[in-house]
Amino acid sequence: MTSEVKIPDPLDLDLDEEARLRRVAGLPAAKTPAGEYAGFESVGLPERPPQTEREREVYTLEEGEMLVNMGPQHPSTHGVMRLVVKVRGEVVTDVDPVLGYLHRGIEKLCEEATYTTVLTYVDPMDYLSTMHNEHAPAIAFEKLFGVTAPPRAEYIRALVVELNRVFSHSLMMGFLALDMGGITPILYGFINRDEIVDMLSAISGQRMLFNFFRVGGVNWDTNDEFLSRLGTWRDHVLKNVEMSERVLTDNEVFRSRTIGMGTLSGRDAIALGVSGPNLRASGVPFDVRKAHPYSIYPELEFEVITQSGGDSNARYLQRIAEINQSIHLIDQIVDKMPHGAVQAQVPGIIRPKPGRAYAAIESPRGLYSVYAISDGGPNPYRFRMRDPSFISLQAIPKLMPGRLIADTMAVMASFDPVMGGVDK
Amino acid sequence: MALKTTPDPQTAAEPSMAEADRVLTGGTPPIVIPDQAGDDPILAEFGMEEHPQGGFHGLLEVIPTRADIVLDLIRANSLWPLLSGLSCCAIEMMSTATSKNDIDRFGMFPFRASPRQADVLIVAGTLTTKMAGPLVRLWEQMPEPKWCVAMGTCTTSGGRFKRSYSVVQGVDRVMPVDVYVPGCPPRPEGLIYGMMKLQELVKQRRGEWSTYVDRGVQRIDWEGDVR
Amino acid sequence: MTAPAKAGALVRLLLDRFPDLAAGLWTDEDTVEVTIEGERNVALLQVLRDDPELNFFFLADAAAVDYGPTERFEVVYHLYSDRHPAWLRVRARVNRADPHIPTLTDLWEGAMFHEREMFDMMGIVFDGNRDLRRIYMSPDYRSFPQRKDFLLPDDAADSSAAGVRPLERPETWDLTRLSDELAPGVVAHAEAEAEAKP
Repeated sequence: MTSEVKIPDPLDLDLDEEARLRRVAGLPAAKTPAGEYAGFESVGLPERPPQTEREREVYTLEEGEMLVNMGPQHPSTHGVMRLVVKVRGEVVTDVDPVLGYLHRGIEKLCEEATYTTVLTYVDPMDYLSTMHNEHAPAIAFEKLFGVTAPPRAEYIRALVVELNRVFSHSLMMGFLALDMGGITPILYGFINRDEIVDMLSAISGQRMLFNFFRVGGVNWDTNDEFLSRLGTWRDHVLKNVEMSERVLTDNEVFRSRTIGMGTLSGRDAIALGVSGPNLRASGVPFDVRKAHPYSIYPELEFEVITQSGGDSNARYLQRIAEINQSIHLIDQIVDKMPHGAVQAQVPGIIRPKPGRAYAAIESPRGLYSVYAISDGGPNPYRFRMRDPSFISLQAIPKLMPGRLIADTMAVMASFDPVMGGVDK
Repeated sequence: MALKTTPDPQTAAEPSMAEADRVLTGGTPPIVIPDQAGDDPILAEFGMEEHPQGGFHGLLEVIPTRADIVLDLIRANSLWPLLSGLSCCAIEMMSTATSKNDIDRFGMFPFRASPRQADVLIVAGTLTTKMAGPLVRLWEQMPEPKWCVAMGTCTTSGGRFKRSYSVVQGVDRVMPVDVYVPGCPPRPEGLIYGMMKLQELVKQRRGEWSTYVDRGVQRIDWEGDVR
Repeated sequence: MTAPAKAGALVRLLLDRFPDLAAGLWTDEDTVEVTIEGERNVALLQVLRDDPELNFFFLADAAAVDYGPTERFEVVYHLYSDRHPAWLRVRARVNRADPHIPTLTDLWEGAMFHEREMFDMMGIVFDGNRDLRRIYMSPDYRSFPQRKDFLLPDDAADSSAAGVRPLERPETWDLTRLSDELAPGVVAHAEAEAEAKP
């Protein structure tokens, strides 16, 4: 007696064309009828029932639609972001961001750390604006503890924060170009970034995750190496920025892929919680440095810059304008910097009185805020961070329908999300 | 097999091997292939003879060796890392690849986006339990031989997220690791040093690559407790 | 500008619109805080957003706070207005045993990710939210990590002998530590100022 074993052949020509292609692509043999729930198997995940109305909507396919999974490993430069994109041919009809691939539980860890250690834990959150990550908790804890930083410390804080903003924005220009296939601007961006990071590591002692801020001041005063690097950098920074700008701003390909792409009106941007340069690119003049001035910003002269377009190109131009604004601010800060101590007298272990404090700052990605509750112990009872790129991501599903799939990453890059901050 | 050439008239007039080396190598020391017997009659026929410092030298018409050694040399000098950044270390990894630190100088090609084309996985950044599955899937998609570099303290031991509820405490719990680069994040120089250590490792282990199965437990039950 | 003066106009306006909020009013140097019951959040925040004099058009933050297993949850909203030089903080109390609160996604679409995060981390259910699923943890995850009864393991937890033990937390949930009383001096100052300038 012989038994016949049928080995599935991916190139079985007896099958009809669609069934053959489905088998080669590893898809389920039968096609989901239009209007029915397609399920998670279609994007290579274990099957489970949909949990919400919205999830059922995303995973239900109409005639001619299919689901494409982008990420969490994706060659775009935004880390472990995953988008489930529903497409009809090349045209996107829906986007569902799936987050949490970098969720490290920083808030919970901060609630079990002392106030000084919290400033270390928040560093890897939004890893392109580390100084800003430390700034907001430092302000909040100073409010809780009732201590103020000396004037020179505030000036040094503003200086390093603006330097950080410059390199974050110049990297954004590079990443935006990289997601459209241009390699050169990212090289210029990293030249600028490496110079500033070396400068900041001269003052803080650590590259990238600086851990520079303290409750009641900063860790170190300025030193000769920092100042000489700052002077050298200041001499040619405008040339550097102009160099990368020249590659992009009038580039025909760049313009045709950014102008009119992902247009977000100011009203929608406010409703979605978009903040920072992305909101100002839609014409809303909301800048925390002006709206709720903190640190030394009331003493500095600057205007809130806005763009009118609201599209990817406006967001890019807004970044360039803010780089120039930051350089202008750095000049003022260096001119006005007073002498004196850089650290107020605080005990080794800080035990603030019970209370609550909210501190918001303007990070390169928008409104970054901290809400801290003290119960009188050595660690915060509740430590909450609001990250701007997490909230800004909600704009992507609103903007992408009707656009080509190749523009998904390009529009997302114009929002400049950093997954470390998105996932905490 | 290389062909024996007729001697050049100019060098034939003064057939000194030391002079020939000087001319051919521009004064640098001769290439010494240590493993070979010096007085091999077949090789002597090809114009190569024993070097006074040991080993074998000659006009380099032929290099007798095993294919494994050559392949490992090629592999070591053209490591193709996978473009896979998880977190903060990814920025330093990118900085390593750009103009200032330029890892290209050391034979590490700029990053490949597809795991099928890569042979080094640099785990750059914190690995969370949710990302562990996709990352191991990437690792399994890479063709042998392949190597893994754990970059940063999060991937070597958990680092500052040692007590977190959602972080894998060291990437070696889910995949084999060849080189650990400490630092939070490591400086670009640190990553370059680690990659050069990997090159040494590749060359040392020539011809003795263990198979995929022999490199320890590949996949554990991550749906539960990966900590 | 002194702290009470900064918040004074807003306090006056709020007490004018909602006299019953006086019980939960508290001011900081640049924050005005009101406390409400959870069910009232949509009605209150809609007025705060749409009233042209108040004009709190931007939802800056929405966070959940756990006050311990025997107590309550709070959903804390921070609002921004270009008319007032102070943040407005609205603390909405939620029953911890049955954590339900109306959703804000009808007022601000951007509240969606905030609410999904609070659901994921604290387990608070937002009624009416049409996409309430876990955002950070896997869909099959069971716990709510930011609740105070979710304890992190200590460093020795990797050894087979070690267990999970609570860290640096008191045995009992003594809420007197969290001084929740109002700052009567500040409110009195604002009221006095309101009387002085009719």
